[in-house]
Amino acid sequence: MLRKLTITACLTAAFALSQVPATVSAQELVIGTATGQTGGLAPYDGPAMQGFQIAVDEINAAGGIGGKYKIKLISKDTRSDAAQTSIAAQELIDAGISVLVTPSDADPSFAAAALATDAKIPAFSPAASSPTLPLMGGDYMFANFPGDNVQATVSAEWAHKQGLKNAYILYSPDTQYTTLPLYFSDVFKKLGGNVAGEGTYTIGQQDFSAEVTKIKSMNPPVDVVMTAAYEPDFPAFIRQLRAAGVTAQVIGSDGIDSPTTFSLGQAAEGLVFSTAGHATPGSALEGFNKKFAAKYGKETDTIFSAIGYDLMKVIEAGVMAAGSTEPQAIRDAVADLENIKGVTSEITYKGTTGMPVRQVTLIRVKEGERELVGQPSPTADLVPAPRMQ
Amino acid sequence: MEIFIQQTINAISLGGTYALLALGLAIVFSIMGMINFAHGELMTITGYTLMYCGLAGFPFLVAAPVAIGVAILAAVIMERVAFRPVRNSSGATMLVTSFAVAVILQTLFQNLISTRSQAVILPDMLAQSIHFGSLSIGINQILSISITLVVLVALNWFLRRTILGMAMRAAAEDFSVTRLMGVRANGVIAGAFAISGALAGVAGVLWVAQRASVDPLMGFIPVLKAFIAAILGGLGSLTGAVAGGFALGFIEIYLAAYLPDHIQPYREALALGMVILLLLLRPNGLVPAFNVGREKV
Amino acid sequence: MAILTVEGLHVHYGAVEAVRNVTLSIDDGEIVTLLGANGAGKSSTLNAIVGLVPSHSGQVGFRGESLVGLATEHLVRLGITLTPEGRRVFGSLTVEENLLLGSMPLGKAGDQRKDNLDRMFGLFPILAQRRQQVAGTLSGGQQQMLAIARSLMSSPKLLLLDEPSLGLAPQIVDTIFDQIVALRDSGITILLVEQNVAMSLEVADRGYVMAAGSIVTSGTAKDLSSSHLIEQAYLGHE
Ligand SMILES: Nc1ncnc2c1ncn2[C@@H]1O[C@H](COP(=O)(O)OP(=O)(O)O)[C@@H](O)[C@H]1O
Ligand SMILES: [Mg+2]
Repeated sequence: MLRKLTITACLTAAFALSQVPATVSAQELVIGTATGQTGGLAPYDGPAMQGFQIAVDEINAAGGIGGKYKIKLISKDTRSDAAQTSIAAQELIDAGISVLVTPSDADPSFAAAALATDAKIPAFSPAASSPTLPLMGGDYMFANFPGDNVQATVSAEWAHKQGLKNAYILYSPDTQYTTLPLYFSDVFKKLGGNVAGEGTYTIGQQDFSAEVTKIKSMNPPVDVVMTAAYEPDFPAFIRQLRAAGVTAQVIGSDGIDSPTTFSLGQAAEGLVFSTAGHATPGSALEGFNKKFAAKYGKETDTIFSAIGYDLMKVIEAGVMAAGSTEPQAIRDAVADLENIKGVTSEITYKGTTGMPVRQVTLIRVKEGERELVGQPSPTADLVPAPRMQ
Repeated sequence: MEIFIQQTINAISLGGTYALLALGLAIVFSIMGMINFAHGELMTITGYTLMYCGLAGFPFLVAAPVAIGVAILAAVIMERVAFRPVRNSSGATMLVTSFAVAVILQTLFQNLISTRSQAVILPDMLAQSIHFGSLSIGINQILSISITLVVLVALNWFLRRTILGMAMRAAAEDFSVTRLMGVRANGVIAGAFAISGALAGVAGVLWVAQRASVDPLMGFIPVLKAFIAAILGGLGSLTGAVAGGFALGFIEIYLAAYLPDHIQPYREALALGMVILLLLLRPNGLVPAFNVGREKV
Repeated sequence: MAILTVEGLHVHYGAVEAVRNVTLSIDDGEIVTLLGANGAGKSSTLNAIVGLVPSHSGQVGFRGESLVGLATEHLVRLGITLTPEGRRVFGSLTVEENLLLGSMPLGKAGDQRKDNLDRMFGLFPILAQRRQQVAGTLSGGQQQMLAIARSLMSSPKLLLLDEPSLGLAPQIVDTIFDQIVALRDSGITILLVEQNVAMSLEVADRGYVMAAGSIVTSGTAKDLSSSHLIEQAYLGHE
């Protein structure tokens, strides 16, 4: 999941201040989080950090990582602003952290990645899904979500298997995440499908009547529409699409894994989207959801809380493998991790550039409820290379 | 041809919503000389009222007028609490104040309600449409167009046929002399805010009926569009605001409809470019305000 | 009997002192003229009397009531009104709408509103012809008549006129001055600010002369016309 923020990473250089190492107890792992607890990223970073905290509490209650390293969290709110992310990241680095957590969006994470790379400290975005982030962000930048290209491959393969042939994609050039349908288009064509049109929208757009009219007028008719639009754009789009009488299969992505999607009534019926996990009975994710409800007194309403939890599990595994809280050692260990058991999926970094290999889950909306379609792995050859911007 | 008619109906519907929004900004600007950037938050308040009414089980036909009423009340309170103390300050002070009000409200929504988008329960009917041959007009669109029409006619009647309406037109032109006529400054300004609240409420209901959700930052895009439409139309001119709203709606829909796919990513930039071009041709807007440049309040 | 008394009035615009210690009074039924060069502070004085600009200090009394601190929109209901400099009719409103707004201080007295409207159309027949025309399209002279008529719609006891002849053709100026006399004869007291010294002194009973914010001389219209004090005031000698 990621979102466009207006201010670019240019400001990072301005904040590359000299580092003042602080004294930190050797038996402590200091993690700094610079995330958007207010502003546009709050719906993602808020729950992610709630889940993260559950893992931290659990580990500390058990005596720390490997019974040795207690975790100390220093949290800063970036107000979902890229410049503020740089400032917060620099302050945290100056405070002597070993691990940095950045926002769930690629754009501000880029700003922090440059600082982390300079300081040789591993940085993690809980839910950024752009495969470009760890690739361009450098050796110290990791993500923790199924990549856009991987999600798109799984969706396209599923659509192909359903016998769908004529696709229309709707994407937004505004952010990397919302260009996910371009990956879908690549894979769908490789599988022999036709892409009848590529429509665009602007994030925040409410009126999709022009796009819907175009989709409706396609000849032969479109049988699958793929988009990575999320709230509030997605609900507006699908309502208008259905109102116009278009019955094509609609496929979305993780950004719409939210309560609103399940309360759209008839308009969302049959919608399929890719996301990071599913709480089947008896699964680890179900167990996590219970812990969440116990701690916060309410059910979690998004997968991002479990993603936050899993991120801490990845860091824990990295520290265990490194046997140290030395940032460089942790980074090297994480880059070599394999099959770490998260509650959403098994997670592997070995052999990647920092975008983990994870399961993708396909969910269908059925009578306002979540129905598991499957948790397929993509055919490796079909996964498109990260698109550079 | 049918597609063209369909796209034109789409443009009228979108333009109508922009017109209502721009009018709300313009009516306050015409009298106070202030762009109220918290206008969008009045829409957000409308949205949350719809949401809570839905949760309380109110039918939409009850919830919508209640939500508009709450928006009117919020607008009047906003004026009383935030804008009256800075009424005679510089334009910059008023602008900053309205930004501050917007941010404070957004933060309150985030902290008191939720940072996440909240679903608004709507009648299924709003996601259906009526078909005429291959034309399909959404119930939402029909409602939007007819409500916009009713609101514009009613507002026009109010401004031309009532003494308060006349006083508001006078105040938009020359506030001091209006006071010389015995018209209470507080009354006129409160009236302007009440009307802008009503317009934000109606637009908010139409907006939310389309997106079926409400979030703390929801007001930003609409107020931006309204601002562009109001400038395009001629800042402070009510007729201009309506013209600007429709012009923006038509530009956006026709570009989306007829630009080739490979140019579509530049659509937003092109739309703004066209607005700028129109402004170069008509620097004071499509229908300039009567008293361009005169001091307000 | 004084209908208006001004005592020790000061008006400041930031650091600029536009009116300094002005004291004047007007008796019921008089035409009093306030003369002075451009920038002398005449308009500021009138605007301060009706509360359009705040007075820094001083007293303003109207028929025994203090106007200081009263908002413009309230004090016009007491029977005092101003026809501002530059006419300032509502250009996008029709002639009739302008006049109706002028009658707002009457409150809900509907009959009087109608009577006044008829009276204004009698007084200024051209306005009756242009009744539905927007005021912005009227000629300068017509706009001035409309501005005066609009002030009269509230049945004021005291009318403050700020440069009614400004920018008008000579014949029109004559008409306006005739009407000022007629208004006084109908019982309205008038404070006339003018640059047209000769004509003002012709119609006025008394006059005050301002220079650089202060009253420099005053007297009966007759005395003022025969003295050199006015010329001196205009030339800036004090
Ligand atoms: N709104 C204002 N702000 C600042 N200075 C003003 C303002 N109005 C008038 N002045 C200044 O006050 C002085 C008196 O102006 P005014 O009362 O208009 O004079 P008059 O009507 O005699 O021509 C002038 O120097 C003028 O420049
Ligand atoms: Mg003057």
